[in-house]
Amino acid sequence: MRTTARAIVPIVLVVAISLFVEGHNLPGGGFIGGVLTVTAFGIVYMAFGLDFLERGVLGREVDPGKGPSRDRVVLAYRRLFAYGFAIAVVSGLAPLVFERPFLTQTFVMLEGVPIYDHLEVASALAFDFGVYCVVVGGLLTILSVVGAE
Amino acid sequence: MSPDLAVVVAAVALPFVAAALTPLVFRVFGERTGFLGTAVALASFGLLATQYGTEGSVALEWIPSLNVALRFYVDGWALLFAMLATGIGALVFTYSPAYMHGQAGLPRYYAALLAFMGSIVGVALAADLIAIFLFWELTSLASFVLIGYYTADDSSQYAARMAMFITVGGGLFLLVGLLLLSIVAGDVLGPGAAFDLATMLENPDTMRSALRERGLFIPVLGLLAIGAGTKSAQVPVHFWLPNAMAAPTPVSAFLHSATMVKVGVYFIGRVRPMLVGEEWLFLFATLGLTTMTVCAIMAVAATDIKELLAYSTASHLGLMVAGFGFTSVYGAETGVFHLLNHALFKAALFLVAGIVAHEAGTREIEELGGLRHDLPVTAAITGVVALSMAGIPPFNGFYSKELLFEAAVEASHHHEIGVLGWLYPAVAVFGSIFTVLYSLRFLSLFVGERPDALGHVHRPPVSLLAPPAVLALLAAAVSVDPQRAVDLIVQSGLEATAVDPHAMHVGLPTSYSTPVGMSAVTIGAGVLAYPAYGRIHDGVRAGLEAVPPIRANWWYDRVVEGLSDEGRAFAEWVHNGHLRTYATWTLAATCALALTGFVAAGAIVPTTMGLEVTVPIALVLLVAVIGAVAVARADTHIAGILTLSILGFMIAIFYILASAPDLALTQLVVETLVLVIFLLVVEEIPERYEIEVGRVARDAALSVAVGATVFVTILVTTDARPDGPTEIARAYAEQAVPGGGGTNIVNVTLVDFRGFDTLGELAVIALASISILTLIVMRGRGDASPAGDDGSRADSTDDGPTADAGTDGGPSGGEDA
Repeated sequence: MRTTARAIVPIVLVVAISLFVEGHNLPGGGFIGGVLTVTAFGIVYMAFGLDFLERGVLGREVDPGKGPSRDRVVLAYRRLFAYGFAIAVVSGLAPLVFERPFLTQTFVMLEGVPIYDHLEVASALAFDFGVYCVVVGGLLTILSVVGAE
Repeated sequence: MSPDLAVVVAAVALPFVAAALTPLVFRVFGERTGFLGTAVALASFGLLATQYGTEGSVALEWIPSLNVALRFYVDGWALLFAMLATGIGALVFTYSPAYMHGQAGLPRYYAALLAFMGSIVGVALAADLIAIFLFWELTSLASFVLIGYYTADDSSQYAARMAMFITVGGGLFLLVGLLLLSIVAGDVLGPGAAFDLATMLENPDTMRSALRERGLFIPVLGLLAIGAGTKSAQVPVHFWLPNAMAAPTPVSAFLHSATMVKVGVYFIGRVRPMLVGEEWLFLFATLGLTTMTVCAIMAVAATDIKELLAYSTASHLGLMVAGFGFTSVYGAETGVFHLLNHALFKAALFLVAGIVAHEAGTREIEELGGLRHDLPVTAAITGVVALSMAGIPPFNGFYSKELLFEAAVEASHHHEIGVLGWLYPAVAVFGSIFTVLYSLRFLSLFVGERPDALGHVHRPPVSLLAPPAVLALLAAAVSVDPQRAVDLIVQSGLEATAVDPHAMHVGLPTSYSTPVGMSAVTIGAGVLAYPAYGRIHDGVRAGLEAVPPIRANWWYDRVVEGLSDEGRAFAEWVHNGHLRTYATWTLAATCALALTGFVAAGAIVPTTMGLEVTVPIALVLLVAVIGAVAVARADTHIAGILTLSILGFMIAIFYILASAPDLALTQLVVETLVLVIFLLVVEEIPERYEIEVGRVARDAALSVAVGATVFVTILVTTDARPDGPTEIARAYAEQAVPGGGGTNIVNVTLVDFRGFDTLGELAVIALASISILTLIVMRGRGDASPAGDDGSRADSTDDGPTADAGTDGGPSGGEDA
């Protein structure tokens, strides 16, 4: 289980990010990328236990049994969805500065970028990133809190 | 000459701005903030005074797509009311610092008082139905805060809730009436005038005939009357006003005698030219005269000086309503003139009552007497204003009461009203006799023997004496030269409220006429009956105590208690702490509402279904159905959850076959995640417990109902779609690349075309996460629930993933759209 997890978690994460980035032109998007990311974390939790992220990855000390919101990562998740929501709202408000309606989106084609040749930067990406953050933060909060039960 | 928009808006906005700044200002000035309030009120008054003589409407754009604007209409009637509010406001602010000295929560007091003043000026000037309603309810809100000023006092809380319940409840009736009015106006005067009261009042005949054609005349009249009647404390909801006397006395003087309670009367006067007619006469003349008489009798039964004044206020409001109710020009004269007179004498009387309570330490009528020795200036003030209230010539109250008698006598000349023709004048005289009685009783606090029990009475400071003195001087000025007051302000108010206004003349009568005779009877009977005041007082009180149901307050208590008991019982039944109960109620209610909606809209029609199912899809669906059956038959929870995921994965495959890769991806990932979360939670659920047959049957019925609802919903919603892609779908497909810059239409739709929906869903996810977190973190703390058996505890744990599944449903539902 752990071996498999070691192998697939990075793959899942990369796929999730690519789904998110490619979402504008191919199947994917912020929501699904977010859910897939959460799945990757879910695998980590199942394979290594709930405290693994704190102890193993971040190298912090954890006091066991202090309740579900003891993890500082849970706080981080909560912050993540708060920030994600803020990003989505701000990206929606930004067009107001240019006297366009709330949530107006636009895009810019960047030509001659190395490797990609041409790269499209859509302002919707910011909004989608907000979606991604909210989904990841929200679901991970639920997952870790429910999991800790 | 038309009014200046900037000046009018400034006059309305200034008090609100000042209210917002009050907490800061109070830190610097402390209790002297009241005098700044005076400055604000005077500034508003000055701004309004510059508009004197103008007429017309000005508008500030607000919601142009709905034709709602912040529209103000300035004319004599509006200015009279607005200047009355700011003028008396200035006096009350001057009076407050001394009266409220040393009280806690003064910033709240001044802020609410300022906000109230802004809303009252707003309601006086507003000419847009929405704005009127908004300011109308703001005054109720400010009144609630001010009545409940003594937050530690139960009776004050009770009174505040009662006033809120009655006036805001009445406001809702008003809202419906206004909306009906706006629908009719939008039809006959064009959509631009839908909310524009000024335009409606310019075309009163068109509006009246349009209302009658649609059969809405009586409903609109009734709804507006309920709104105005609750606000102006008309019988049978007059009882909130005496209770509102729990407020500090300056508030009573300002809100509950001079301004807020007059909003109803003001509004009746405002719409009078549009709705006047025979029904109008029956409704308002009867309502007003009943209130006038009933409340005058109640005032005689009062034992507290503020209670006496409160009932007297309700009685005088009845007089004004009755005045406007009479359709002749005298009726309008009564309403407008008495509005001014009453504001002058009643506000002064309340301020006097405040001085008495403040300096003598009691408000009981029995304990007070002979105060002229201690409070000579106050006694002089009271002499003027109490006699004015009684309607004794030559004081100003006399002139407007004389007009009421004239209007009551005239009523039978204008309409065929049979027995009411003499009943109206008779009731008017009968009610007025009691007015004379209680006015004399109030005056008697200052004359006669000083009771020995009364302790030392202090001299009031100048800031307490000056405001009532100013009002008394004004009342005296109107008494001496009523014609000047009429020419200055009443005449222009009359022109806005009367149907056929003409130059108004008032003065002391020089020859005998019926109204003069009625006045003579009133005053004579009042003075003759005064020695028997004690017996009348006791008799009324005994009657009220013997038969509680004739007191409106009794009904209010019964209704409110009954409702809250019922509510509590219902809540315990529905909200019993068992998740299964909540689920049952929510699902059953949703199904019932959805199905009722479809039936009501006639959306359920028999259709022929063209089934075009390919073999792979049929196979996938078959597996899904088998999976569903297996879920219901699973032995353990784990088996059930695993089987459930078969269903989910089959749906994902179905999406792939139906060429919806985005949905399929989402479904797969979400399914996996839900599976994980379910497995996490499942061990908390008790393995198996006995379920009785009845509950199984109920659950089965509910499941069938939910299934049927979903089925019908899908049929109905997809059936309405025309063949091929809809216009919206085509537009999205065409616009995705040029407009959104993405070739994934689903994603472009989500983040661009329907970005607002997505934002809403994000909020749902965030909320769900927070609530789950809260539920789980707080579960350990509040375990005092009565239903704390093992089953329910397991159920409440179950709350997490259930809500979570709902969250997942949100965004994927969004992708469906």
